[in-house]
Amino acid sequence: MSERKDIEKELIKTKGRIKTHAKTHLTVLILVIVCEIIGIHKYQVGPGSVVLLPMLWAVIFGVLITPDALGKVITPLKSVVSMEECKLASPMLVIALAPLAVKYGSLTGPAIPMVIKAGPAFILQEFGNLGTIFLALPVALLLGLKREAIGATVSICREPTLGIISERYGIDSPEGRGVLGTYLCGTIFGTVFFGLLGGLAVGTGLHPLALAMACGMGSASMMTAASGSLATAVPAMKDQILAYAATSNLLTGVTGMYMVLLIGLPLVNKLYTILQPKIQGEEK
Amino acid sequence: MKYDVEKNIERLKMLIIVAIITLIGQKIGYGISPIQAIPGMILVIVLALIGFGLKEIIPLRIPAFAYAALITLILTMPYVPTSTFILKYLKQVSFLGVTTPILAYAGLSIGLHVAKMAKISWKIVVIACLVFLGTFFGSAIIAEIVLKIQGII
Repeated sequence: MSERKDIEKELIKTKGRIKTHAKTHLTVLILVIVCEIIGIHKYQVGPGSVVLLPMLWAVIFGVLITPDALGKVITPLKSVVSMEECKLASPMLVIALAPLAVKYGSLTGPAIPMVIKAGPAFILQEFGNLGTIFLALPVALLLGLKREAIGATVSICREPTLGIISERYGIDSPEGRGVLGTYLCGTIFGTVFFGLLGGLAVGTGLHPLALAMACGMGSASMMTAASGSLATAVPAMKDQILAYAATSNLLTGVTGMYMVLLIGLPLVNKLYTILQPKIQGEEK
Repeated sequence: MKYDVEKNIERLKMLIIVAIITLIGQKIGYGISPIQAIPGMILVIVLALIGFGLKEIIPLRIPAFAYAALITLILTMPYVPTSTFILKYLKQVSFLGVTTPILAYAGLSIGLHVAKMAKISWKIVVIACLVFLGTFFGSAIIAEIVLKIQGII
């Protein structure tokens, strides 16, 4: 840990490193400008929509211009974005995440009175979010993933999880790649998936109100898609479904980060050490 | 642990750079005037620095991300005197606008491991779907049980 921190300090230091800094931040600025100009693209698919956000272009173009990608083909690119710039990007990510943490915190503060008022069912179903670990971790290991599985399955990987995993392990670590993978999948086709699931889940025989609570998983757009199609499937309970889903979603917004930090991460690590040798054999 | 002043000055510089990039990005993407967003961005920087500071002072393995989010949560709860003031200015900072530079840095950073990224490719889509199912049915099953015990359904 402490060794890692010193590296961070060395990297973000501006003294004697102005050139690397200038190249890195200007590259990011150009990426941001280009991606924001491209803007948001939405395609209606069934009850949800595939959403392509500027952040998706940013990560794709960001990867593309690195030395091992396009840098191999277009060599002059290497003089702008070299390994040095890529290395600086890692601690910069942790710094750039802090404003997101603040913004996220400001969305949860106003929701606190509602959390206090919410009944036991609302509170307890929050623990159901740990279902990601039990369902997805074993399969991730079967598919041959190693520590990537930790980041990918610890939660539904919205912004708070992305922040916590990137800071603890680094985004360039296996865990970081995992969390980024699930995060991006959720951003791109999460609403399509939950839009379909919200309606289909009625077939499981679970009560619509229980399903309504499940629709709140910490992302407003996914919740809207899921509860919208659930309400369409059970029109008689529409108002109650939408209210339950919105409440549960706010609740997950507040509890999600603490759930990951205090329970999810220790749990997924523990389960990994138990399951990994059983599923993948002893080789590390 | 000790508060490393030098390191946090470097962090402040970096936060200012990120803030400038974000101000430009959210002007283009979401039409937010950079001048109007400056007070909000200053608040963001201050709260972020408090987050980093707490991480260094408190000897727990809790990321600065969590501290910054928690402090802001406390300061923006209704009835806390700072809440209206902070919320008013933070409104000028776009959630999506903040994410774009983050993912740009992330892209550059994981670019060092392109080959390893390619290895998980399609598998991550399968896993993400199971993650979605896991969180949904995990919550639904617990809710079903508790609501039944309470006699609500």
